[in-house]
Amino acid sequence: MKFPALRAYALFYLLFLYAPILLLPIFAFNDGTIIAFPLKDFTTKWFEQMFTTPALAQAVKNSLIIAVSSSILATTLGIFAARASTRFAFPGKAGIVGLIMLPLVLPEIIVAVSLLVVLLGLGIKLTTFTVILGHVLICTPYAIAILNTAFSSLDRSLEEAAYDLGETKWSTFRLITLPLVMPGIISSVLISFTISLDEFIIAFFLAGSEPTLPTYIFSQLRFPKQIPMIMALGTVLVLMSVILLTIAEYFRRRGIAKTGGTDTGGFL
Amino acid sequence: MPLCAFRARTVTKKGEPMALGSRWDRLTRSEAFNGYVLVSPTAIYAILMLAAPLATIVAYSFFKDGYLTIIREFTLENYITTWTDPVFRAVMLRSLMVSAMVTAATVLLAFPIAYYVSFHVPASRKARWLFLITIPFWTSYLIRVFLWKVILGYNGVINSGLMNLGLIDEPLTFILYNVNSIVLTLAHAYAPFAILPIFVALEKIDRALLEAGQDLGESRLMTFWRVTLPLAMPGVVAAVLIVFIPTIGDYVTPQLIGGGKIPMVANLIQARMLDLDNKPMGSAIAVSAMAIVTLVSLIFLFMNRRFLRGQR
Amino acid sequence: MTTRPPMIEFQDVHKYYGDYHALRGITATIRAGEFFSLLGPSGCGKTTLLRTIAGFEGISSGAVMIDGKHMAHVPANKRPTNMVFQSYAIFPHLSVAENVGFGLRRDPRSAAEKIRAVDEALEMVGLKGYGNRAAHALSGGQRQRVALARALILKPKVLLLDEPLSALDKKMREQMQVELIKLQRQVGITFVLVTHDQEEALVMSDRIAVMFEGEIAQLDDPETLYRRPNSRRVADFIGVMNFLPAKVTGESNGHISIEAGGLGQVDIEAAQAPGKISGGEAWVGFRPETLTILYEGQTAMDRETPGTVEEVVYYGDMTYYDVRLDGVDRPVRISMRNVFGRPVLDIGTRTRVAWSPGALVLFR
Repeated sequence: MKFPALRAYALFYLLFLYAPILLLPIFAFNDGTIIAFPLKDFTTKWFEQMFTTPALAQAVKNSLIIAVSSSILATTLGIFAARASTRFAFPGKAGIVGLIMLPLVLPEIIVAVSLLVVLLGLGIKLTTFTVILGHVLICTPYAIAILNTAFSSLDRSLEEAAYDLGETKWSTFRLITLPLVMPGIISSVLISFTISLDEFIIAFFLAGSEPTLPTYIFSQLRFPKQIPMIMALGTVLVLMSVILLTIAEYFRRRGIAKTGGTDTGGFL
Repeated sequence: MPLCAFRARTVTKKGEPMALGSRWDRLTRSEAFNGYVLVSPTAIYAILMLAAPLATIVAYSFFKDGYLTIIREFTLENYITTWTDPVFRAVMLRSLMVSAMVTAATVLLAFPIAYYVSFHVPASRKARWLFLITIPFWTSYLIRVFLWKVILGYNGVINSGLMNLGLIDEPLTFILYNVNSIVLTLAHAYAPFAILPIFVALEKIDRALLEAGQDLGESRLMTFWRVTLPLAMPGVVAAVLIVFIPTIGDYVTPQLIGGGKIPMVANLIQARMLDLDNKPMGSAIAVSAMAIVTLVSLIFLFMNRRFLRGQR
Repeated sequence: MTTRPPMIEFQDVHKYYGDYHALRGITATIRAGEFFSLLGPSGCGKTTLLRTIAGFEGISSGAVMIDGKHMAHVPANKRPTNMVFQSYAIFPHLSVAENVGFGLRRDPRSAAEKIRAVDEALEMVGLKGYGNRAAHALSGGQRQRVALARALILKPKVLLLDEPLSALDKKMREQMQVELIKLQRQVGITFVLVTHDQEEALVMSDRIAVMFEGEIAQLDDPETLYRRPNSRRVADFIGVMNFLPAKVTGESNGHISIEAGGLGQVDIEAAQAPGKISGGEAWVGFRPETLTILYEGQTAMDRETPGTVEEVVYYGDMTYYDVRLDGVDRPVRISMRNVFGRPVLDIGTRTRVAWSPGALVLFR
């Protein structure tokens, strides 16, 4: 290494990035209600407490329903848009795609507030369904970003070859396109799932009286007594996220290897 | 040749004899038609769920607030009230300042990392580094923010650690519930958003250009200054916007880290919209904030236009 | 060559991309069983023309007929043509055998018969026993063969090849050229090849259409194309040709008299002016190998002009000389085979050059 200082900085930076996550399990297993050093004894009671809290179970159930629906819907919408934008030229494309991708740079509070105003105006009751509406909106741009890579690394002549060999447009899509972009689809579903599961503001505004995991956590953070259990919950969530992301990354890389491309790295 | 051959478009020049079927036939075969059909489900969703609601709050911001109802009557009152309200001005200014500080801190801290991964990490390990960098971003945002409170708090990790070591007798109070702690927390939360665009821009730089720079007599440092940095600027500009815009609308961090005592614009919108249930006023604040953010972003883009020229 | 029935007919085919006129009135016939090449620089429309045969490109006006049938309403998947793509388009998620048998999915034959057909096709392209390999593990040459087998297994009336050899290195390319010729003779199918490599077209084709800017400039067999190009542009694109300004001084029953820039008065046959010249300013062209440097003791069979060697480029088997002939205002290129015992000349050497009016071509 020509720049040991740079490398040291990089490692220090990683430590900064990981500091909160590393502290999480420490306090999750700490037998003390105050989140501070010095540590007390080792315990797993905070994890046990998680399973005996009905409100948490309800929040988890709601969040899972929202995350599963949102990730599937967002990926479906993402497939349409990614296919259209990588394969077809049409007037106004930049504007249309720009609108669809807008939530990526729009503050979420604006998305949440404007949806809320419209939903209330239309007299629609706030439930998990309304959260799904919002989450699909913010997950779709991420889905498109991932699927765009998958679709554009697909050599167009593969589809032409299948068509040339007697397949119809639809069977070409089924036999060639779909299998080749499947890794992208899987990683899009997983990423959308992760985003939806973790999203707070839209759920906070649109969920009505239905708690989701983040809004439940937010409400519990006010009570110091509850915090050790939240640490335990956070540990579980981090583990789950890491597992999901590792799977997503595996599929993303396999997709690139399959279509013979080179890895440019990264989800975004 | 493949370039032109691949842009299939069945456009017939006016006055040319038609050899291919009916009008409808040609329309359905045309590339534009197929593109519109494919993009329509997503586009319609975005129009219904995003464009229409945004238009609605713009409209609301010009309506009067009756108690529990909206009076559909054009008025500029909401804007006049908003802009003359010292609370709004203070909050908006604070939001802009905090976002600017967060953006500066995030991008300055991120650049060396992006540079290190792009230039000093072997190609085979780059993906692994990016994966490592992105992982914390995908873990519960709320809990991450809360943990900074734990780290920085009165009885927090830093204070209790330092007191245990006997370095301080009293907990340090200047590290929590102030703007600095908000900046630190947000800089942590948005780190990958800054690293990735810069990394992508650095990756695009042809390494021969750097050798050319040195070959033409520049030192390493001057080559960095005259070649690498200008070429990386599109990435830096993207990073700045991608961090600046969402942080201004952040709700959680001021609420948790600031202890609710240092509200930013999102907290103000939330308070007007939900707590006071004044939708036209909330809308006016939201629209004003969006307008300011857009304006600041456009000025920033304009200032950096020379770096963006010739970029696709 | 015996006249075979037509397989593909283009009738005044035009193609526009917006305002861009990509094909400008192509009228031509490709005969059954022919190895036909579309040759031209990039952007000339050759790939577009090939893709109108396959059905990937619609045409703006005119007609494309295959085996006597109009193709206007026949989509690509229903045409009796198959294509070998420039990138080969081997399906990366399928094995070699699955790739080759891809088009047999709708074939009514039994599974066992299909497997036999795949094996035969693989054997034909020299990939016997490769069926179970993963497609992405193949080399460039092997991919090419899989693409060929995959297209030929459907017994198309026409095989379309879009620059199939451009991704291969020189050795491999030359080997595949020979194999493609053999394969074409063996299966007897009409081959239509797109290439920008004039040597490749000359080596492989029965006939070649040279295209510039969406038009066919000349359609002939390789020898005619090389020896009697009908324009300076075609002559320049295929091989090397020297050009000298000339003046047509007279025409009489089948003969043309010209004053060829510094070489003096020459009489040539009318056939040596394929571009249909009628009086006035013109150019004469001659290939480097039609000129010979005379060594001591050698005499010219026909004409002889003295000159000075200006440049020498040594190629191993050949040497190229640029010689300024006395009375000619520009150097001409001469290629000489390097024969044992014959020295390579130095720059500045005075020499004599033999040439023959019969090897000249006259252009407008």
